[in-house]
Amino acid sequence: MKFDTPKFMPGGDHFILVQFGDDASIDLNFMALGLTAAIKAEEVTGVVDTNPSYNSLVVEYESDDISYADLQTELAHLIDGLGSVENLELDSRLAYLPVVYLDPWTRDCVADYSEKIAPREYDPDFVADVNGFEDAKQLARIHSGTEHWVVAVCSTPGLPLMRALDPRCAITSPKYNPPRTWTTLGAIGVGGLSSSIYTTPGPGGYNLIGRTPVPLWDPRQRHPVFKDRVVLLDAADRVKFVPISEEEFEYTEARVADGSYEFNITAYQRFSVGAYKKWVSSLNQDGQF
Amino acid sequence: MIYDEPKFLPGGDRFIEMELGNELNFDLNFLVHSLSAKIREAEITGLIELLPNMASIVISYDPDLISFSDLKREVLGHYHNMGSLEGMELLSPIYYIPVLYCDPVTRGCWEDYCAKIGEKEYDCDVLVRLNNLDGYEQLARIHSGTEYWVAALGFYPGLASLIALDPRCRLTAPKYNPPRTWTAKGTIGYGGSVTCVYPANTPGGYQMIGHTPVPVCDMDQRLPAFSQDLALLRPGDRVRFFPVGQEEYDYVERRVTAGDYVHNVAHYAKFSIRAYHEWLETLDMKERF
Amino acid sequence: MALSVEVIKAGLETSVQDFPGRYGFWEQGFPPSGPFDMWSFRLANVLVGNGPEAAGLECQFMGPTLRFSEDCVVAFTGAEMNPTLDGEAFPMWESVAVTAGQVLACGFARVGARAYLAISGGIDVPTVLGARATFHMAGVGGMEGHALKDGQSLNVGAGAGAGAGVPGRRVKQDCRPAISDNKEWQIEVVQGPNDDWIADDGIERFLTSEWKLQARSNRTGYRLEGPDWIFADKASAKGPEHGEHPSNILDHGYPVGSINLCGQTPIILVNDAPSAGGFINPFTVPSAAFWKLAQSKPNDIYRFRRVSVDEAQELRRSIDRLCAVESIA
Repeated sequence: MKFDTPKFMPGGDHFILVQFGDDASIDLNFMALGLTAAIKAEEVTGVVDTNPSYNSLVVEYESDDISYADLQTELAHLIDGLGSVENLELDSRLAYLPVVYLDPWTRDCVADYSEKIAPREYDPDFVADVNGFEDAKQLARIHSGTEHWVVAVCSTPGLPLMRALDPRCAITSPKYNPPRTWTTLGAIGVGGLSSSIYTTPGPGGYNLIGRTPVPLWDPRQRHPVFKDRVVLLDAADRVKFVPISEEEFEYTEARVADGSYEFNITAYQRFSVGAYKKWVSSLNQDGQF
Repeated sequence: MIYDEPKFLPGGDRFIEMELGNELNFDLNFLVHSLSAKIREAEITGLIELLPNMASIVISYDPDLISFSDLKREVLGHYHNMGSLEGMELLSPIYYIPVLYCDPVTRGCWEDYCAKIGEKEYDCDVLVRLNNLDGYEQLARIHSGTEYWVAALGFYPGLASLIALDPRCRLTAPKYNPPRTWTAKGTIGYGGSVTCVYPANTPGGYQMIGHTPVPVCDMDQRLPAFSQDLALLRPGDRVRFFPVGQEEYDYVERRVTAGDYVHNVAHYAKFSIRAYHEWLETLDMKERF
Repeated sequence: MALSVEVIKAGLETSVQDFPGRYGFWEQGFPPSGPFDMWSFRLANVLVGNGPEAAGLECQFMGPTLRFSEDCVVAFTGAEMNPTLDGEAFPMWESVAVTAGQVLACGFARVGARAYLAISGGIDVPTVLGARATFHMAGVGGMEGHALKDGQSLNVGAGAGAGAGVPGRRVKQDCRPAISDNKEWQIEVVQGPNDDWIADDGIERFLTSEWKLQARSNRTGYRLEGPDWIFADKASAKGPEHGEHPSNILDHGYPVGSINLCGQTPIILVNDAPSAGGFINPFTVPSAAFWKLAQSKPNDIYRFRRVSVDEAQELRRSIDRLCAVESIA
């Protein structure tokens, strides 16, 4: 639920946590991202960094430049200035990421887990079952049918934690238990009510449903898109997955490798929470892609 | 160019063609539609209808209620009160439309033309050759790599003229000469630097590069997307095509026939001119998808 | 009992139309449609006592054969198609009492090309996008979106006009359009919108030449045959997005009545024409001259007379004044 007033809590000596509510309602994330944008626009003295999440925001500050109490006052003031969540508008880029759904590489990864750790059904079939979809192909259709809202970039570098904007495309699934010890690089995972993309080949617990050849981060900033940034996506961006074939994957992978891949990101839209809510209420919730 | 002052040209006794410029320029088209919205809101007595297009607006009026010169004066007044283009934003829904590129349906239509009217190079080959593309895959990648702006409706009910928002994806194509006597409904056409979806089985001259089973016009208003209107698209909307294979194409077609196809439209982003101009600056025009 | 009209023979392209046609959907690609010779159509409604919005039939070149199920009042205006009622000559430009079961038949138009039939009460078909006018290309309006077919049955409204129809009323001779079998016409035109794409001597040539109406002409477009047009520099010194030919322009809306120059073929865009496209419109035929177009036949000769916007509007007003009860004797 949404708190009547946001809660402020200290995180050690140079962090403050602002929490807007305690569930995963998307409005809480909009507020957290609205506050993030306001902090940047105001260039609040003493703020070092911001780290938004589902329903909260962690602000790192320099205690020599601003006290906890003053920062809390400033943040409360900015939150008032945002007004009601319906009034929020956020700059929101839209990244088109090609994906091979039901790909052979994550299939191998799941098979490997099934053999070495615990037997398990092929993830896309499992997720399709759990959500009452016709089959894994419909899972792909539904997952790629909606824009995904980047709630936060976290866990590993560049990893976007996302949720479906179209409520008709909500997918839920339990996570691996126990988790995998490794994951295919670029795998698309679904778990809980989120999607994510594995930007390192490390452990993970989301169900693997596809793979993208597009890199989400580059510490060496080789490609022009990383000229002023190390990770591709920010919180409040959106992702639209575009289903491709394995041949197209290989073509794209080769262009990524030789540095000629062109990222497909549009940056001319502002996300309107009011318009979003209106659109959600206009949808026929029984309709399905 | 955008004219310093728009031209008001008489069209018989009850039409005026207002020319705002003479080129295919997105800003100009945005200006056309913003001005049209403003004129409509003003509810000028005697003004019957507006027909905005690429760089002009045809105004139909009742000469018994308003004279040519009074109408010109009023419209010009609204034009001068528009304010700067940079500050304009427009809530713009985006439609996601699946396409089977270089498909059998349009190939059949081309073959029929060659047999009955005259021999002609296969349309996809024309596009590949004139735009120095690698092949059909690159044609699909580039055509589907951009959002399209609905610049105008006209010529035939439900027929929208779409211009690429990403200038790296602008292709060029000549028109059929002489034109075809028929085109399959759902054909994706490309003519000049404009693309379109044929809303019905009409004559036409654009090169045919693909086919969609998704209807953009429905006189019988069978599908939910048409409950309020016969045509899907309006000027100021956006369209994004995504390539599909024959299997997915067949699936969509089955759902359209069954009457339960759900059009994919996200209606919560505002198109920002300022942000669009900034984004254009970031693009490397030498690069291609 | 409700009146219905049985279509024994549909004739050549007979359709339900209403005046002024379909408005408010032009931007979605729907032309106005509606009666081509508005003058004759409107007077037909006045004769039978209908309001101006009542739907009637437009008959092209050869009219239909109809049987009326109930008594009613009917009027036939426009081209002379030798209408008969149960075999007896049926007077034109007059309201006539028809009794149940009588059959109205038409032949080929001897003088003029299009005739109009109004029935007291108006033809009752569903309105589509605000009008009963037929736009056959999109299958919208009229009888299921198309021209009449043999065997159909038309419903007639019980509206304001029904019962108000009084037989024996005639349109005064000098209040009717002067439809004749003279194969030459003088057609008014207003210069513009794209007259500056034509060289001065090209304008002169257009206004002083004879233009022949081609056979492949209909409510979608009237194709003219005549000398080549001469283009101004502007028609070539333009960006590539306009198109290669001098007559190509960046897509723009087409005023109804535009003389649309497609290459070297001028096509007058009339009631069912496309709403927009990529060719220039150097001249426009004003509303007041539409009856002349409607009543001409293939191979007729046109000579165009230039008028100003003001003059064109005054001509329209003068026709409007004649489409009223004052024109009835």
